[in-house]
Amino acid sequence: MTPLPDIFAALADPTRFAIVERLLAEGEQSAGELADIADITAPAISRHLKVLREAGLVTQRIDGQRRIYAVAPRPLQAISAWVIEHRDFWEASFDRLEAAIGNRRKESR
Amino acid sequence: MPDLRLTRDLDATLDEMWDFITTPAGLVQWWGPEGLSVPEHALDFSRERPWFSVMSGSEGQRYKVSGQVTHVRPQTSVGFTWAWHDEADRRGPESHVTLGLEPLGPGRVRLVLDHVGLPDDEAAQRHTEGWTSSLKKLERRFAPA
Repeated sequence: MTPLPDIFAALADPTRFAIVERLLAEGEQSAGELADIADITAPAISRHLKVLREAGLVTQRIDGQRRIYAVAPRPLQAISAWVIEHRDFWEASFDRLEAAIGNRRKESR
Repeated sequence: MPDLRLTRDLDATLDEMWDFITTPAGLVQWWGPEGLSVPEHALDFSRERPWFSVMSGSEGQRYKVSGQVTHVRPQTSVGFTWAWHDEADRRGPESHVTLGLEPLGPGRVRLVLDHVGLPDDEAAQRHTEGWTSSLKKLERRFAPA
């Protein structure tokens, strides 16, 4: 799978982020349906889709004349895991540590 | 700056805190967020040795993290490497954690966490918050069956 920093880099663009959000919210869409995502040309949209595909964030399938795009779940699951992993992991653990200390105090009284 | 520093001032003695952050009996009382259990672990930071923990959620999610204890300075700090495993048990990028203790007075200790070497894409840091709502949606959408 694409390394996380590369996934983040691919998403760190307002148009590409909007494409991923649209595909998440509404399911798969053709390039034509995605055209209104930003006030840019169709070739520009295609370039953004290419970046997303190369980062593994978006898949493409051909349906007749149309190219249909969808979000690939795994990279986004990896981001999700990364986000909860660190700060939340430690904050939540420290909350429990504080509670454990409180309990110990009560028991020793 | 991707590195993460958290501090907590706690009502405990240095001895108590040292046990909490180095012994298996102490660590399992607080290791991992509420709602996750730790069914398998080798959590002993009192010696320089490998460690791991497997946390599991109520819906069967399984999160494994492992590393190696890199230093033990009694009642002062412990350091260990840290990497999550993916679902195929492949170990991901390694970062480093230090848990330090600073006495603040009788029965009061500051716990300082330094987690360094995390993926350091600046854009990632800027955008993380904005992604949270998308990620919540995503989690519902792709929740493991």
